[in-house]
Amino acid sequence: MRLFLKEKKKAIILFTLIFFHLILISLQVPLGDKENYFERTIFSVFSPVQHGVIYFFQKVGDIWNDYFYLWEVQKMNKEMKEEMFLLRQENSQLRRALQRLKAERNVQNFISNLHESFLVTRVIGIDARNIYKSIIIAKGSLDGLKKNMVVLDKQGHLIGRIIDPISLKEAKVQLITDIDSGVSVVSQESRAGGVLTGDGKGNCMLKYIYPTQKVSKGEKLLTSGLDHIFPTAIEVGKIVSIQTGASLFKRIKVKPSFEFSDLDMVVIIPGDLRGISFEGE
Amino acid sequence: MRNFVEIGLGIIIAFLLYTIIGKISFSLSQLLNFFTLAVIYFAVAKGELYGACIGTVSGLIQDSFSLGVFGVSGLSKTLIGFLAGLVAQKINILPLMRNFLFIFVLISGETAVSIFLYYFISAEYVSEITPFILFQPLCTAVLGSAIFFLLRKFKVLSS
Repeated sequence: MRLFLKEKKKAIILFTLIFFHLILISLQVPLGDKENYFERTIFSVFSPVQHGVIYFFQKVGDIWNDYFYLWEVQKMNKEMKEEMFLLRQENSQLRRALQRLKAERNVQNFISNLHESFLVTRVIGIDARNIYKSIIIAKGSLDGLKKNMVVLDKQGHLIGRIIDPISLKEAKVQLITDIDSGVSVVSQESRAGGVLTGDGKGNCMLKYIYPTQKVSKGEKLLTSGLDHIFPTAIEVGKIVSIQTGASLFKRIKVKPSFEFSDLDMVVIIPGDLRGISFEGE
Repeated sequence: MRNFVEIGLGIIIAFLLYTIIGKISFSLSQLLNFFTLAVIYFAVAKGELYGACIGTVSGLIQDSFSLGVFGVSGLSKTLIGFLAGLVAQKINILPLMRNFLFIFVLISGETAVSIFLYYFISAEYVSEITPFILFQPLCTAVLGSAIFFLLRKFKVLSS
């Protein structure tokens, strides 16, 4: 027996490793949406390293820039950019809100809720398997981040939501372009409601629109809030093509409003937004 | 002990390169697979068992940073690591062109195993594959064979 084990040691180790992976993969099937503690542990161990590397290079770059260029001007510029960034966010949400809000009291409530909730952060990593699936951001549970918090780009367009695993200072964001994502949306003009999923290639598909429902090319899509994850009236994308074939539903391709090339900074809206109506009372 | 330090360092370097490249360009991070290069390097240098174990560790690290099924990269890298060590014992893969082909075939194999596993889990995942991933074996093989060639030269010079 011992001789057999010695002779077959390599094969036994290999098959043990394969078996371990198969068990690991199988375990995720019944888990569904629940978190995997093993994955969470590995993510928690290595994400600070990634964070540190990005932080280091960021700092080296900052020192270089600040020293060799007019650093005082740049500092002011940076502050103004950040302020503009927040103001732009606020402005874009307020515009939408003002379109819908009827009473002045509701506007006031909306502004106070919104202003407190912004959290700006950097993108520190992307998904190596598919860049259109997820990103990693430099805020985590210590900053109050929780699952399903909404992530927007600089212009206030929807990027995705926070998902597990969340480490102390890093978190993963599922992009709306991921095929497993789902956002309840409504078209801006015709008010046709459907579910937006990613196609995994940088675009999205609007599902469950009957051929009888009128939607037009170029029409903007906004979140409907029916999924109880994303608040209402956030701009998501624009319809780029509509096909009506033999299937029960229209095949609608949507270009997301956010730009992948512009994903250096994002905005998180912490807190349970299910209670906040972007459309007013 | 020295082996483990070397391997740990190799994986950390691969992880750092993966992070930096990801920050430089989204597309570039899909074209170059530093984790697999580390697996192949140690599998050739230390043998198939090391290759399989390093494949498991680096594959799971990569899995934890991507939004897919946790374990797919781990399994494919384990197989590739074992295979790399096994083949390297039977064939001389040191000449540059042969080295390039060796890495190219292994990374193509890894991509094929991953696609098969994803297809097996859910066919929908296969539709997500971007053209960048299909160019990964070629780009990584070019870079890998160049790096391994330079490392060998450096070792010869330093000895």
